[in-house]
Amino acid sequence: MKSTRRLVLLALLVSQALILSVVESWIPIPIPIPGVKLGLANIITLVTIIFFGYREALLVVLVRCLLSSMFGGGFVIFLFSMAGGILSTLVMAFLYNKISRVFSIVGVSIAGAVMHNVGQLAVASVFMKDLSVMYYLPVLLVSGVIMGCFVGICSKLLVSALQRSKALQ
Amino acid sequence: MLKKGDIILVGIIVLGILMGFGWNRFNASNDTGNIAVIKQNDRVIKRINLDTINKPEKVEILGDYKEVVLVEKGRIRFEDADCPDKVCVKTGWLSNKGDIAVCLPNKAMIKIEGESERLDGVAY
Repeated sequence: MKSTRRLVLLALLVSQALILSVVESWIPIPIPIPGVKLGLANIITLVTIIFFGYREALLVVLVRCLLSSMFGGGFVIFLFSMAGGILSTLVMAFLYNKISRVFSIVGVSIAGAVMHNVGQLAVASVFMKDLSVMYYLPVLLVSGVIMGCFVGICSKLLVSALQRSKALQ
Repeated sequence: MLKKGDIILVGIIVLGILMGFGWNRFNASNDTGNIAVIKQNDRVIKRINLDTINKPEKVEILGDYKEVVLVEKGRIRFEDADCPDKVCVKTGWLSNKGDIAVCLPNKAMIKIEGESERLDGVAY
């Protein structure tokens, strides 16, 4: 793939991830726990891992977190989404590349969502200097599995559509 | 569509979830919690014995944002905050040991500890 084309496609992926995080912020979640969210932008992370690789996926996540925290949220939110984003991208890329015969996209996505929550909670307990934040872990794991499943199914549909259209090849 | 690894993965996570809930329950069952601790920046702002509160009391937390904590007999909550997400306010009342409410942007939290943990600060 030519580097200009690659750059444009990655920029498109970043903007789509940004739109998804904006849309996500419109949807109210009734669970008042820091870190519980839909994680729709993970669809784009997964697609980037599958069509480009983990380096590009990390780049997309980094730029997305940077821009979305500029739109609203600020430095603290950036720190949290960054920690969760990097950890989940690395885990998803590892699972997808090394053992994709064993895991489906849905499984990779669940692992990513769960690692996102674990990473955020780890940063939160360091940030607050208090381990009792871990009280939230089980609830966050439940939400991670459910949302990871949903995001995984969306990604699977998107990946097969993209493969058919050859848009990212 | 699902592969073997997916099922094993979900199984492990479910096990983790059950253990986590079990751990939280175990911690909560030791005795009834009645000491509310308000912390910010790893500094204890106030410790309140919720059993001895007779009339509602307010505690202000200042920092990057301003928050008002409301204390009543047996329970405590973030009543108001001007932080962006207001997760702390939405958490609602805390009354059981182990309950926490956190405001990440302001590095503030309330947690309820059991009576036994009052000995934490004693030096022999």
